[in-house]
This record gives sequence, structure tokens and C-alpha cells, in this order.
Amino acid sequence: MRGLLKLSRAIDALNEWVAGKVIWLVLVVTLISAGNAIVRKLFNISSNGWLEIQWYLFSAIFLLCAGYALLRNAHVRIDIVVGRFGPRVAAWIDILGTLLFLFPATALVIYLSWDVFLEAWRSGERSANQGGLIFWPARLLVPLGFSLLWLQGVSELIKRLGFLSGHYVPQEVHDGPRDEEALAEDIRRARGLQGDAQ
Amino acid sequence: MIAFLTENIAPIMFGSMVLLLLLGYPVAFSLAACGIIFGVLGIQLDLLPASLFQAMPDRIWGVMSNDTMLAIPFFTFMGLILERSGMAEDLLETVGQLFGPIRGGLAFAVVLVGAMLAATTGVVAASVISMGLISLPIMLRYGYDKRLASGVITASGTLAQIIPPSLVLIVMADQLGKSVGDMYKGAFVPGFVLTGLYLLYVFGVTVVRPKWAPALPPEARTLREADGSAGLRSLGVLLVLSIASTLAFLHTSLPAAIMSFMRHDTVESLGLDEHIVLGMAAWSIIAYACAASNHAFKLGLLSNMAERFTFVLIPPLALIFLVLGTIFLGIATPTEGGAMGASGALLMALLRKRLDRKQLRQAMESTARLTTFVVFILIGSRLFSLAFYGVNGHLWVEHLLVNMPGGQLGFLIFVNVLIFVLAFFLDFFELSFIVIPLLAPVAEKLGIDLIWFGVLLGINMQTSFMHPPFGFALFFLRSVAPKAVKTADIYWGAVPFVLIQIIMVALVIAFPQLVSAGLDKGPAVDLDKVQIILQDSDAPLAAESAPSESSADASAPSAEDAGNDALMRQLGAK
Repeated sequence: MRGLLKLSRAIDALNEWVAGKVIWLVLVVTLISAGNAIVRKLFNISSNGWLEIQWYLFSAIFLLCAGYALLRNAHVRIDIVVGRFGPRVAAWIDILGTLLFLFPATALVIYLSWDVFLEAWRSGERSANQGGLIFWPARLLVPLGFSLLWLQGVSELIKRLGFLSGHYVPQEVHDGPRDEEALAEDIRRARGLQGDAQ
Repeated sequence: MIAFLTENIAPIMFGSMVLLLLLGYPVAFSLAACGIIFGVLGIQLDLLPASLFQAMPDRIWGVMSNDTMLAIPFFTFMGLILERSGMAEDLLETVGQLFGPIRGGLAFAVVLVGAMLAATTGVVAASVISMGLISLPIMLRYGYDKRLASGVITASGTLAQIIPPSLVLIVMADQLGKSVGDMYKGAFVPGFVLTGLYLLYVFGVTVVRPKWAPALPPEARTLREADGSAGLRSLGVLLVLSIASTLAFLHTSLPAAIMSFMRHDTVESLGLDEHIVLGMAAWSIIAYACAASNHAFKLGLLSNMAERFTFVLIPPLALIFLVLGTIFLGIATPTEGGAMGASGALLMALLRKRLDRKQLRQAMESTARLTTFVVFILIGSRLFSLAFYGVNGHLWVEHLLVNMPGGQLGFLIFVNVLIFVLAFFLDFFELSFIVIPLLAPVAEKLGIDLIWFGVLLGINMQTSFMHPPFGFALFFLRSVAPKAVKTADIYWGAVPFVLIQIIMVALVIAFPQLVSAGLDKGPAVDLDKVQIILQDSDAPLAAESAPSESSADASAPSAEDAGNDALMRQLGAK
């Protein structure tokens, strides 16, 4: 179990690291899109390459952060039924969900999209638009992102098993709106308000 | 057994999906797995082609290259940056000061600021938290009814859902196959009518139960002149003067010249909406210039209130222009508008020195996380629909709903009741990705305008934030409200506004003009696609029109040429 938990920590660290880099693409794609819009308006020039790079980056954000989002428990759930049964049931649901839902789905996508990537790589497939970009980097994002997601599934599985067998204590409780708490804290500090809320 | 399965695979698949989702595993993966399980089953039963799953990478590719969804990170990022910029708090304080001394004034201020924040993207959670921290304590201190105070705050916070530019409308546009721009235009009037209904309710309360919403005593006014006056006259003079000069500006030929430049085309006359947008922009600039020069040169011509009001109000107005104005004028696509809005918000936050590296990281991280989970639900639902459509599930839903008694109206009532009930349990992303795609084809078949349909459902889904006990807005308010406000107060406070929401849904059903009034008449051009088309068609159009210019009959443009011109203008206009 200890070795497995080590593996789980390594996977978590990997996805944290990837996301830590990838989130900067949010800023990059925003500036590219705004810059492209302004240049297009003022000088009436643009190229399809600049348009396509936007959705490449957009895809990179959500595909490469997929594992990280699972780590942070950001993928939304409908937990009104199961939420009532306590952490052990929740852990069992996650184990079954990972084995029966997540693993087959990610495996299938990785398998199928890898072929598509190889095909794009070999043929040098390009966008049909004039001045469009070459496709293979975007095609590669799919198996890459789903592999990170699959890996994170392995890590979550280990953590749930560790929790059930008493080897692992969940460090963070992910059920609170942490962003919102941070915002409220920020506002209180900036405005010098008392934190007399619950 | 097998025969039964083959006959009823669509309803069985649908039922299984509901059960799997209720297990509480992330929706995106449950949906995808459900699609795969039934895909395999369908292939085994010879209902589906063996090559079914080959289409999966294509489905994902379709989501990736989706220009509409690209607007989601932009608007999210904009909203997250703005919530850290202190703009909301400044607005609440200043507008509260302005309206506070009239009866129900603080509640009016909350509704108005809520609408304004909503028009700058607005994140429901952020609006509710700002209002809960800034306005709620003041309202309570001066004797507002707790339920009224908390109800007004939750409801005004949720305006961000329906007043463009909102995320739910982007998702809805994507699911209904309509342009985001049209969705925004359609939601514009209903959004403000709804704001009006909230104001009307507050006004009604001040008449029937004046004690629930008292006027602030004069000493509560902190923004005042040295001599103790409120400085309202100065604000009035500033408003009158700036509006007068704006009207004068609109009568010159400048607006047409500006539009011509922006669209790279000669624009001779402007429509009403263009006048409104340009007028707002000009007014902001004039008022800001007055206040700024008064401040910089210490002219002392304006009261504190007038100066503060202008400084606080103009930046959000400028952002609204940058985003909604450019989209409505057809200068930018919604995606570009979102990107420019986010850049503008960044600039504003930097100028106010309200953004450090940590907060920027936080905003980017939250944006990435939200984008990821939203897009993944979409991917999950596409993989689900791959098999569900394969077994003709959509036809099954259609048969079920098309034959509803009451035709269009019956269908609309049924759908709205359904969404209203589901909204107790599901949030709007889940509703829009799972339920809407099933309903849209039926609505279309019944001859229902999809923009109208989308706006209607958007208003309805807004209630999902207010429904006790799961409504998110209630939850966020609870997290910042003082202990004196009981959870039951927050729940009961939301009830009148949920009723207003239902009235609004009924109004939009009864008066489709509310939605269609905002839409352009004439040939519909898909706002989101035009940018691409423009580039692709630039060259051929130019090539085509060149020979006809040099033709003998140069003075009278050929019909073809005129057609091209019209097309170009249309493309440029959008």
C-alpha cells in the first residue's frame, strides 16, 4: 500500500505541475484573441493561423487540465442522493466509478485518438483554411490529455482504497467553495470588514 | 428478452443514464461510460454499426475546434479578474450612498448594481458575496427586513445568469445551434424587464410594508460636501450637461464616420441600437473627462458625490461597451468581445493596483478548472449522444413530446415545469448539456423559435440558483451573512423572487416580442462564423468585383456587384 500511495503522490504532483504551467495559456490565449481582434479592426489584416492557434490553446487548457480537475474534484457530480451516505460510501462510489466509467472511457479514447494522431503525423494533415496550422499537435493533445486523466484516475483509486483500508487520510476536504471563501476574505481585508460570518 | 431490449433500447438507455448520474460519480464520465456501454450493447444487438466508436475522436475534435465554447474561458476569466478588482464593492457603496436616503433605496441600489455587474459578465457567486459583505450589514443596521434584504441580494446576484454576456447563454447557443450574438440580443430586453420587475417588487414592499425597507437617516451619508449638503445638484448638472453634449455629438456626422472606420465600409445612417451604444460610449467619455479634469486641476466645480459617482460608474460602463457594445454593433464576435473584455478587466485591475501575481494565478487556475469541467460535460454528452442517437433515442423523445396535448403552448409549459423541477437538483451546465439537446429538436419541429426557447429556458434556469435549499446563491450568501440572519430567512427571502421568475417566464411565453425585439430584422448572419467566412471570401469577392469595375458600364454597377456589396456590408456589419 505504501508503494502505491507513493505512486499516487507522484501522479498528483505531475498533474499539479502540468496544470501550473498550462493555466498561463489562459492569459496567453486571452491576449492573442484580443490582440487579433484589435489588429483585425484597425488594420483589416488577420490570418487563419492566428484564429486557429486560439482553439489549439483552448483545447490544450481543458485537455491537459483534465487530470488536475479530477484531482481537485472539480468535475461536477450530482450528489444529492449519495451525498447523504457519508465518506465510506462516497469512496466506494468513486472506486466503482473509476473502474467502470473512467477507465474504459479514457482507455477507449486514448486508443482511438492515438491512431488519429499517428495518421495526422504521417500525412502532415493541415487545416483546410488558407494559412491554417498543421494539425498533429492538436491531435496529440487528445491522447495526452486523456492519459493524464487516466493516470489521475489511478491515483484517485489508490487514495480511495487507502482511505477504506485506513492507510490514507484525505488531506483536503474538497466540498467547500474554496474560491468563494478566498474572495470573501479578500474583500474583507480590502474593506477592513469584520469577519463575523459563520 | 433480447427482443424486448431491442425494442426498448432508447428508453432503457435513458433510464440507465438517469440512474448512473444519480450515483454521484462525475457527470462527464458517467455520461461517456453510459454511451460506451450502450454502444457496445447496440453493436452486439446489430442496432449500431461496428464502426460506431470510430466517430469518437471526431466528436472530441468537434468540441475542440468549437469557436463558441472558446468564449467560455474568456468571459470566466473576465469575471474572475473583475471580482478581485474591487469594482463591485465601489459600485455598491457609491450607488448605496446615492439611493440610500430614499425609502427602499439600498434595495434599489443592490438590484441596479446587480444588473450592472451582470452586464460586465458577472459571476453569481462573486456578486452575491460582494453584496452580502457590503450591502447586507448596512441594510440590517438600518432596520431592513432580513428576508427582504437577503432575497434582494440573492436574486440580484443571479441576474448575471440572464443578462448578457452570460455563460449560460453561450452554452445554450451552442446546444441550440444558434449564434451567441443573437442569443445575447434576444436576452437583452428580458434581462432588463426582469430587473424592472425586481425594482417594482421592492417599490411595492416600500408602499405596503414601509418598515421593511426604511430610508437611511441623513447621518448615514458619508459622501458629502464640506458644508454638509449631499452634492446632488452638482451631480444633476453634470448629468444634464454630459447628456446634452452626447446628444449634440450624435447629431454630427462623427458617429457615422466612426462606424465607417470600424467596419471598413461607408456607413451613412445608424440604427437605434447603434445610436444607443455610441451615445453611451460618448457620454462615458465626456462625463469622465469632466470629473477627471475637475479632480486633476482641483477646479472644485463638482461635488464629492458627482466626482465619485462618475469615477466609479464609468469603468464598468466602459467595459460593458467594450464587450456588449462591440458585439451588438457587430464590430466583434462574442468570442473576441470576451477576450477584449478580459484584457480590459486586466488593465483596469492593474491600474487600480488590485491584482497581484497570486490573484492572477488564482483567476487563471479557476478559469482553467471551470473550462475543463464544462467542456468535459460537453464531451461526455457528445459521447453519450453518439450511441443515443444511434439507437434513435432522439426520435423516441420526440414521439414522447410532440404528441403532447396543447401543441406549442402545452410543450412549452411542460418543458418549463420540467426544467423548474430539475433545477432543484441540477445546475445549469448539467441542464443545458443533458436536457436541452433532447428538447431542442422537438421545439424546432413544433415551430418554436430557438432563440426565444433558449432565452425562456435561461430565465427558468436562473431559478436553479435561488431554489431553497440547494440554490448556490443562497449558499454563498449564507457563507458571508452575519449570524443574525437565519438560514430560514435566506430561504424565505428567495421565495418572492422565485415567483417573480415564474411570472417572467409566463411573460416571455405570452410576449415573444420581448425576445425578438432585440434581434435584427433581415437576413440572419451567423455572428460566430462570419469572422472565418470573411477571411475566406475576401479574396474571391475582390477578384470578382474587380473586372466589373473596369467594364464599360462603370457608372451603373451590375446587379451582381450590388449583390456582392450587400453581402460585404452584411459581413462587415456583423
